[in-house]
Amino acid sequence: MGLLSYKDRTIKKLILLSFLIIGIPIASSAYAVEVIAHISVKDSTLSTSQLKRIYTMRQLRWSDNSTIKVFVLPSQHELHQRFSKERLQVFPYQLNRIWHKLTYSGLGVAPTIVKTPEALFNAIKSTPGAIGYIDTPSQDNNLDEGAVNVIKIEN
Amino acid sequence: MLSKLKTSAAIIQGAFLLVLLTLMSMPLYAQESTKPKENTVDLEASNNQEFFDTDNLQLHGFVALGVIDVNGSDFVNDDGSLSTELTEVGLNASWQLSSQFRLAGQVVYLDGGNRYEKGVRVDYALIDWSAIATENWQLNIYAGRSKNNHWLYSSTRTVPFARPSIILPQSVYFDGFRDIAVGHDGAGVKLSHSNDDYGNFDFNLTYGRSPISDEQAMNLLSEFATGNAKQEFDLQTSFYWQPAFSQWRFGLSLLDSDFTYQSAKPEKPDAFFDAEFSFQFYTLNALYEGEFWEFSGEVYQSRFKTTGFYFPQFHSDNIAQGYYFQTRYKITSDLTFLARYEDFYLNKEDKDGKKLEEESMGLIPAYFGYHKDTTLGLTYDFTSNLSLRLEYHWVHGAGRLTPVVVPNPRINDSEDWQLWAAQLMYWF
Repeated sequence: MGLLSYKDRTIKKLILLSFLIIGIPIASSAYAVEVIAHISVKDSTLSTSQLKRIYTMRQLRWSDNSTIKVFVLPSQHELHQRFSKERLQVFPYQLNRIWHKLTYSGLGVAPTIVKTPEALFNAIKSTPGAIGYIDTPSQDNNLDEGAVNVIKIEN
Repeated sequence: MLSKLKTSAAIIQGAFLLVLLTLMSMPLYAQESTKPKENTVDLEASNNQEFFDTDNLQLHGFVALGVIDVNGSDFVNDDGSLSTELTEVGLNASWQLSSQFRLAGQVVYLDGGNRYEKGVRVDYALIDWSAIATENWQLNIYAGRSKNNHWLYSSTRTVPFARPSIILPQSVYFDGFRDIAVGHDGAGVKLSHSNDDYGNFDFNLTYGRSPISDEQAMNLLSEFATGNAKQEFDLQTSFYWQPAFSQWRFGLSLLDSDFTYQSAKPEKPDAFFDAEFSFQFYTLNALYEGEFWEFSGEVYQSRFKTTGFYFPQFHSDNIAQGYYFQTRYKITSDLTFLARYEDFYLNKEDKDGKKLEEESMGLIPAYFGYHKDTTLGLTYDFTSNLSLRLEYHWVHGAGRLTPVVVPNPRINDSEDWQLWAAQLMYWF
């Protein structure tokens, strides 16, 4: 009996622990970061590695060989920080370094920085091949989410 | 061989002049391209489409101003007074011609006192051909004037906010050698591979040369060298590997370069004779980027062979060695602390410089044989593109002061010298 209750407690602890690990991050941010792309982009899913390659400028084309146009918010913007840590699993300062190196040494092109989430959404909506991110459910009711493709990110 | 080199140099010079002229001729309102397209901008863009699509043009730049104070050496100025010679301004453009071809150029203005020549330079002006771009492979071929991309901070050494400190480890990123080492006129290949299992691989190969101005020649050689110094060629390669899911990155680089010196004699008085210099440089580096801590370091060895110069039969073969280790810690998301130690000696057979002093019959003190620098610094980010940086260096030895070949112990009469600097940096 004592053994059983010990097992019960262990299982309860494990369940609690799994909630702590899985449940808390979801519960702590009411808004999740979604990856969005221009309506013309055919790729509907990307792996985390692919997304990381796109944002570190190591993959420049969509699967149909069209050019990817990457958009971001300023590095200190809260949404950008969440996107890079949660979605890309890269620290924002690491992204800055890669982009600065490309931009100021002539070796490549870095993402286009826009000032607000609304401007980011509009840029994705109007630029063929564009990729970006938004908070969902959107804090801004004026955003017409059907005007962009939401990209599913698989691990 | 020499005539071949001359022809390729002429082609390269022509190519980057063309790139520069094209970039310069672009109207400034093309800055609009960095803003998101809204309806009004759409209209403007379509009006401009006949000339070029503003979507494909990016303009960026930076301005950095500061103060620097050196006590005990001529690193910045000869009289040791507080100096504002810490100005760096840059403006660049990148124009996507098609999905495969891109033009890029940057012009910089620098004022660093004795560290390097004051004035405007074409930092890079190149054409970039994206020959292969798949999900896992990228092959780029560059022609024109390109930045050195082989060492840990070589491509960002001229970009104030993108390098780790105001003054970089002088043994690798020697300011006296800046204009020669910062890039080259020639061609380069960059091959990148991204693999989900093994990580990211980058391979670079470049061939070219850098022009050497009279002032640089004087800085490097001696104020009494009135002849012509020239870089014959510069061949460099590097390889970087970042294992999958790792915070680490490892790299190695190899450099081989030849220089010649043509004495001004007998037309003009010159203290020196015709010479050939051969320079080889190898580095190993590692970088760790964690959420709060960062560690980096480079270990290196160089070989410098001299034939002639002091007298026609002179010959020397010298191996220099050094390393630096650096750590950065993010105290808060806006404030970063830096600590670094650097140790370098010009001759691995003469680490304390005693042989140097003996062989020069006391003219060059032993402390010119090494350079050891302990650095502490802070960087504060006010916004995403405005930062302030402060740092202090304690330096032991005069091995990285100009002129190099014939040092000046009259001004640099101190074995220990210190430096502090503050720089405000803005970029867009």
